Amino acid sequence: MSKKRTPSAKGRRSRQKSKPSRLGRFLRWLFKLGLVLTVIAAAGLVYLDAQVRSKFEGKRWAVPAKVYARPLELYPGQSIAMDELKQELKTLNYRFVRRADQPGAVEWASSRARIYSRGFDFPDEVEPSRNMLLSFSGGRLQSIKSSDGRSLPLVRLEPMLIGGIYPKSNEDRDLIKLEEAPPHLAQALVTVEDRAFYDHWGVSPKGIARAMWVNIREGRFVQGGSTLTQQLIKNFYLTSDRTLSRKLLELPMAMLLELHYDKDEILEAYLNEVYLGQSGSRSIHGFGLASQYYFARPVQELELHQVALLAGMVKGPSWYDPRRNPDRAMERRNLVLKMLFEQGHISRDEYDQARRQTLGVVKQRSLHKGAFPAYLDLVKRKLREEYRDEDLSSEGLRVFTSLDPLVQTRAEAALETGIGRLEKRYGKRAKELEASMVVTDPQTGEVMALIGGRDNRYTGFNRALDALRPIGSLVKPAVYLAALEQGYTLATPLEDEPLSVKMPDGSVWQPQNFDRRSHGVIPLHRSLALSYNQSTARLGMNVGLDNVIDMLHRLGAERDLKAYPSLLLGAQALSPLELASVYQTIAANGFRMPLRVIRRVTDAEGEELSRYPFTLKQQVKPELVHLLQYALQEVAREGTARSVYSVLPDNLNVGGKTGTSNDQRDSWFAGFAGDRLAVVWLGRDDNSQLPFTGSGGALRVWTEFMRRESPEPFLATRPAGVEYVWIDEATGLRSDRRCEGSRQLPFLTGTAPSEKVDCGLDNPVRRSLDWFRNWFD
Amino acid sequence: MKKICLMLAAAALVTGCAGPNPYRAPVEDRGQDYEPAKEPVTQPGTVVPAETSPGVTVQPVTRVPVVREQRDPEAASQPVEIQSSQPVVSQPQSPAVIALLETARTDSGKGDLRMAQSRLERALRIAPRDPEVYIQLADVQRRQGQFLQAEQVALKGVSVAAGQSGALKRLWQLIAEIRQEGGNAQGAKEARDKAAAY
Repeated sequence: MSKKRTPSAKGRRSRQKSKPSRLGRFLRWLFKLGLVLTVIAAAGLVYLDAQVRSKFEGKRWAVPAKVYARPLELYPGQSIAMDELKQELKTLNYRFVRRADQPGAVEWASSRARIYSRGFDFPDEVEPSRNMLLSFSGGRLQSIKSSDGRSLPLVRLEPMLIGGIYPKSNEDRDLIKLEEAPPHLAQALVTVEDRAFYDHWGVSPKGIARAMWVNIREGRFVQGGSTLTQQLIKNFYLTSDRTLSRKLLELPMAMLLELHYDKDEILEAYLNEVYLGQSGSRSIHGFGLASQYYFARPVQELELHQVALLAGMVKGPSWYDPRRNPDRAMERRNLVLKMLFEQGHISRDEYDQARRQTLGVVKQRSLHKGAFPAYLDLVKRKLREEYRDEDLSSEGLRVFTSLDPLVQTRAEAALETGIGRLEKRYGKRAKELEASMVVTDPQTGEVMALIGGRDNRYTGFNRALDALRPIGSLVKPAVYLAALEQGYTLATPLEDEPLSVKMPDGSVWQPQNFDRRSHGVIPLHRSLALSYNQSTARLGMNVGLDNVIDMLHRLGAERDLKAYPSLLLGAQALSPLELASVYQTIAANGFRMPLRVIRRVTDAEGEELSRYPFTLKQQVKPELVHLLQYALQEVAREGTARSVYSVLPDNLNVGGKTGTSNDQRDSWFAGFAGDRLAVVWLGRDDNSQLPFTGSGGALRVWTEFMRRESPEPFLATRPAGVEYVWIDEATGLRSDRRCEGSRQLPFLTGTAPSEKVDCGLDNPVRRSLDWFRNWFD
Repeated sequence: MKKICLMLAAAALVTGCAGPNPYRAPVEDRGQDYEPAKEPVTQPGTVVPAETSPGVTVQPVTRVPVVREQRDPEAASQPVEIQSSQPVVSQPQSPAVIALLETARTDSGKGDLRMAQSRLERALRIAPRDPEVYIQLADVQRRQGQFLQAEQVALKGVSVAAGQSGALKRLWQLIAEIRQEGGNAQGAKEARDKAAAY
């Protein structure tokens, strides 16, 4: 109780004391208010401080995943034309100069090239920047010498950035470190934007005063008093509307930022945050990306005049846009150079030389070229099987794909040439053609190029993945392989005669040959090479639909296949990519490899997140596939695809199959050489009839592609367990090389027919005559 | 014309001889390696081949020998290139592949199998027909415990190594080892037998 009384007494006393002074009461009130405000302000500061620190220390930017093409490997003995290397270097934005004395530069001569590579931090190891001399002869790279004269066995160029996976805000960045920035960048920024940067505490009263003075003198607003730190805060934490509250928050936050972080950290954040332009819907933030956007080279390779231009543009990226307002940009750039000179950062010579340069801005194009939409689409679909969208668009992942830009370019050019010729030949009847194409390496299962439609820049309907079209005779190899597996041989006689199959719904299936004729008894390999329908249908019915379907699945078809007899002639629809997978297994001796587009995914620091290793599974005995490969080579030598050798070198030994769907709505070719496999589809989106077949259309494009590609020849190594036997072509009986009408065919050892034709070899008289004749030969 | 008629007749006769079902291929039993052909199975409830061929099928009672002219064997051209039965001479390894194989060996020696794997995949892209690459890659996968993959890679190696007995012997020895470690004793024995044959 007593305690309670004490304060009240005290209070009474104090009330008595203060009663006379009204001022004192006011002061007291003011003091209390001050205290409350201080507490609120302190709380606010603590809150701001937490904000400042969490953003600065956490993930500062949403960095889109970067998608890279395959790096070009260079090694002595490699078959690569100088032109191909040149193209690769050009798309990597190397500069062709007289003296390659810095990374990103090339000296080009008739049979030699000096490349100063940029180096790249690959997930497996760092490829250093190298100054190397490459010598070529006969379409091959002969040697790679380092600058100290050593022979290098293998080097990699940096991979081309082919795209990114952007968040909805469409922000894009190419993060750089302060030490990567070119020499004068930081100086230029500080000189132009905030001379007192290294001295102030985040805000610069001197700077504000000077700005005010300049503005008053000029009679208009020419200079803002914001420090770099304030500008960073503004972009980083605050909305862009110019309100007083924002301005009031800016000052304490800038000071807090300075309190926690050193100048270099702040400057580095600034370099990556600052807004420097707009590419369509995508805003260009940071000097890393701006350097690519305006000069098509990494920021490390910028020259003084380019650095000055970028630093000058900070003030007004659209006002000083060098593409739209080159004069203004030039004036601004030279002003920056002048300031740098006056501040003593550059010498008179450097100043004079830089001032004389043109702006040096590259022609505008969309960033990352956007040149491979179909391939990127496939990459994204694969990524989405494993990663969340927000991770892809913000975590700065690096995705290494197997896209080969050289192959892609050749595929696109072949398609254009091929279709151009078709349009010329068929006129109106060939209008509105659509196309798609898949190119893989049959040895590794990697997808090297993908075309989703004739407009290669258009990210629309991806026909290579999504267009399901009846595959026509492309199905036949599966039918014949299933037959070979059941014990048929290449020499087994088949009957190419009409047949009717009663369908469950009461209708009757009566397949016709393309030429509307039946061809009687023919050996199995011939039936495939000439793509006869009636013999194939009969064969397939005997082999059993289930077995054919099973074979298609084993080879690589993934969807459900309906057991209709018409399947045997390709009524089933598959996507070009799926077909590539089927033919891939055939080209790879019966080993099925999942088609790969991604080699590896790493996080922003280069730590591996996923890898997609080389995997394979034997689906069909290599011996049987060898027999099929023979027949598919025959398709190209003597069958429906024999036009290829009027263009391609004779030793290429390509194998493949033409396909035409019912009523000629789809034109297909799938085929392979040693290290390239390509599936080509031509048709129309409205599914109307074409004026050409598979051989007349898709095959022409395929041939043109292989001509440009000049791949390795296909080598069908003969497996143990296969023997070549001379067979009489007409009857399929065993024959001899000395008998008319014979050819060699491969058989599983012991399965060749034993019955022989008689060309007198067993007749002792003729044999001795033969011996006699040989004596004199 | 007469010749063609004769040939066609002969062809028809010979096919006729093949048995009651001319589409069935003659099958030789090759032991457990290959399944003998099954009788053509009619899909229940789906399709029944109904022959409508108006032509008369001749069933000859006796065999008629097929007679052919002799020719100069040098004139026998082969439209499709025949893979010679001679062992394929392996291509000399490029310095790039040698370097990659060597560093991969060092990596796996140090136990860095993932690194070794990346290098071997690089080598595979450069020299996909080099059995040595498959041998090392399969061995790395074996050491990672991926026996199924290791075996498949080694089998692919067998298929590219056709004719190179040294490589084939090592590949089958490796397959034996992989199968043994993977718990397939019977398969391991078969592989060892194959290795012994080279």
